[in-house]
Amino acid sequence: MDMRQLVKILFERGREKEIKDMEVFIQRKKNLNIRVFKGEIDNYSISDENGLSFRGIYNGKMGYSYTEKLDESSIDILIKEVIDNAKIIDSNDAEYIFEGSNDYKEINNFNEELENISNEEKVNFVKSMEQEALKADKRVEAVNYCIYGEGMEHNLLINTKGLDLENKSNTAHAYISVMVKENDDIKTGANYGISNNYRDFDFKTLSREAVHEGISMLGANSIESDNYPIILRNDAAASLLNAYSNIFSAENVQKGLSLLKGKINHSIANSIITLVDDPFMEGGIMLQSFDGEGVASKKKNVIEKGVLKTYLYNLKTAKKDGVKSTGNGYKASYKSVTSISPTNMYIEKGNISLEKMIEKMKKGIVITAFQGLHAGVNIVSGDFSLSAHGYLIENGKLSRPINQITVAGNFYDMLKNVEELGDDLKFAIPRGGGYIGSPSLKIKELSISGK
Amino acid sequence: MLNKSLIEDVLNAALSTGGAFAEVFIEDRLNTSIGMVGGKVEKAISGRDYGVGIRIYDGIKSVYAYTNDSSKENLIRVAKETATAVKDCEKDIHINLMRNHINNIHNIIIPPNDVQNLDKVDLMRRAYCAAKNYDEVISQVRVRYLDYEQNVLIANSEGLFVEDKRVRTRTSIEAVASANGEMQSGYFGPGAHMGFEFYEKINIEEYAKEAARIAKTMVFAKPCPSGKMAVVIDNGFGGVIFHEACGHGLEATSVAKKTSVFTGKLGEKIASEVVTAIDDGTIPNAWGSQNIDDEGTPMRKNVLIENGILKGYLVDKLNGIKMGMPSTGSGRRQSYKYAPTSRMTNTYIAPGKESLEEIIVNTENGLYAKYMGGGSVNTATGDFNFTVSEGYLIKNGKIDIPVRGATLIGKGPEILKKIDMVGNNLDYGQGMCGSISGSIPTNVGQPAIRVQGITVGGRKEER
Repeated sequence: MDMRQLVKILFERGREKEIKDMEVFIQRKKNLNIRVFKGEIDNYSISDENGLSFRGIYNGKMGYSYTEKLDESSIDILIKEVIDNAKIIDSNDAEYIFEGSNDYKEINNFNEELENISNEEKVNFVKSMEQEALKADKRVEAVNYCIYGEGMEHNLLINTKGLDLENKSNTAHAYISVMVKENDDIKTGANYGISNNYRDFDFKTLSREAVHEGISMLGANSIESDNYPIILRNDAAASLLNAYSNIFSAENVQKGLSLLKGKINHSIANSIITLVDDPFMEGGIMLQSFDGEGVASKKKNVIEKGVLKTYLYNLKTAKKDGVKSTGNGYKASYKSVTSISPTNMYIEKGNISLEKMIEKMKKGIVITAFQGLHAGVNIVSGDFSLSAHGYLIENGKLSRPINQITVAGNFYDMLKNVEELGDDLKFAIPRGGGYIGSPSLKIKELSISGK
Repeated sequence: MLNKSLIEDVLNAALSTGGAFAEVFIEDRLNTSIGMVGGKVEKAISGRDYGVGIRIYDGIKSVYAYTNDSSKENLIRVAKETATAVKDCEKDIHINLMRNHINNIHNIIIPPNDVQNLDKVDLMRRAYCAAKNYDEVISQVRVRYLDYEQNVLIANSEGLFVEDKRVRTRTSIEAVASANGEMQSGYFGPGAHMGFEFYEKINIEEYAKEAARIAKTMVFAKPCPSGKMAVVIDNGFGGVIFHEACGHGLEATSVAKKTSVFTGKLGEKIASEVVTAIDDGTIPNAWGSQNIDDEGTPMRKNVLIENGILKGYLVDKLNGIKMGMPSTGSGRRQSYKYAPTSRMTNTYIAPGKESLEEIIVNTENGLYAKYMGGGSVNTATGDFNFTVSEGYLIKNGKIDIPVRGATLIGKGPEILKKIDMVGNNLDYGQGMCGSISGSIPTNVGQPAIRVQGITVGGRKEER
């Protein structure tokens, strides 16, 4: 059935049931995933999925429903559920359906070339990536994950206030994790790439860096517990910022779940830090012209030279604070209610290389990866205590690998204690929501526990 | 759902290029989720998931496809397209499906869909009030309710044709305490493979108060000191230590590839003799239980470790072929969007003899972890980490001051050997476990245990 026809009937019947304003978000996704193990396709998965999200104002409150069965048989239940769900809402902060912004920037985040490359070619890419890693060093025991995946998304946002928006995007990712072994010592190393330009994926670089990462960790052990000067390598810094990205959400601020409450125009970070949310960033996977509520996206500084300039708003929270939505309304999928998320958000890079940063340090630690980020960070208090690994720096040189340590600190304090910014901006593997990046960060000190 | 002859046609199409095995997984699932912040319902959404997953494997080569469009033409098209990714020879086969009847051991008394939304909100409000009124330092309370009814039909080229219904509900409470410019939170999230009768069996207010008590205790707690020490981990969600440190490494997902630290160790002593560990998907109405796994194999009680000796792995069908072992009923997946693989169900350390008090009295100095948070593991190296959500120092065999921000790290194989006392107070905690076949409900469990010399990550000094 034609989608627009389905939407038309849904709106008509919704009106008959006295749902005032209504909105439909239709998402079509196509995915491809290829996983190779020991030269064989270990998993090859293709999919084509559709979902429809429906929301509407009934007696002044917003109710939500969705379905994966996109035909007329779903209409009555979608309407009934929106009404049932609206009936129990008792929040005073009104959600509303948006009539549209004046201007939308034109964006092209769909690279047709990606779809034109054959799946055989992509399978060969994954096999080559594995081969390259296996022959890179005889200590490579196995490639425990060797993956290429891509996804296409086509979204339609239509409401009864005249909004009718559409976007189409695609993205691909490659991931490799290798297991290296020397005597009884086993370590892993990983690397990843994200882009919608197939030519950005170089299997040689991806696998060699993963192997190098694993090999360089061989012989790692712990270190004396103490406070050390720390360099968070770009990928580790980005993953930590990613874990804390929700503290900038106006929703969390208004609910008293972020310590940034009341901090607008206050200094919250070292003055070298500028945090940008840029929905138009070239190569960003959150490249978009409008957000999950149809509000035009815009670029803004969240932190400017250490000073907090704005929270991230959707329509509801903006109305409550008497400001305009920043275009950060977010719909993770047709199965989700509307929330808030950064788009492509990153700390602006500095001008010193990681090597130089290391050279300048007499004694300290470079952290190259954190583990357990979903559990070891307290978003509310800012406290973190995370398992990590990296290298010891002595007299400006990497002297040995370190693991079995935890790094503890407080994210809010850490922002103030960033002393240098690297010139090497990198983005973290997205965990749903924003695409978050950071350069390498030199931190005055953090508490390390080991031996 | 779909009729037998249509599914037979799909399976025939899936094997038309000579694949060895084909499977169809059909899912029809109704979800409800309600979010309450500060005592007010903010968001409520309900909806229906509906889709079909088709899997074909040949040798160790496995392909998977899924779609929401269950029309005959589309399913046959998808099956054929998927089949060409396995092999490209022609083969004419014919499959006859036989309906298998399952023995339902998880009785559902009140289906959540028969319960009014207002009753669900009422439950949430009771939880909110209990947490909020616990103490004046409680500044915010978030309550989340969810339920679902998942109907699955699984059929495969071995002739299996089986249906199952899984009903689960869970209410989680997060209380935040604020004092002196600091905020700390406490969490509890009870759930079960049960209908709304679950809330008659538990007292939601008690859980809510407990979440508030944790938050209050932690907001006044000092940062945990760091270093190696003896740690007493209390029962219930404390079982996450076994889940992370060992459970994932026993899944065929990594054992079959020989990328687990526990590969090839069957019959060997991998833990201290006080450790017996079990994964049991048959516990009636438990959060991680199901009648059958997501490949249609009945779930079982699997002894993983007995008195320190490794007895078995968790095996799914495909990895079972690679390992030369039968499935242990451990093939699980989040939804039709994922190919199944071996996963845990309700995993626990079996009870020992000592009481918690006896364990504490016998521990001169160390850390008492009353409640644990989440964690993760690298199955290749065995390196794990997890957080302590409510901890206390132990001094001279007595529980001393509360401490916060502790993370426990170590290597799975080493930690298993350092467990030297196992208590008698077995209990379970509910969690969501994420891995390559998605996020699935799992129970972790244990009685109180003591681990000698584990690295505790904390702070050197107060900032």
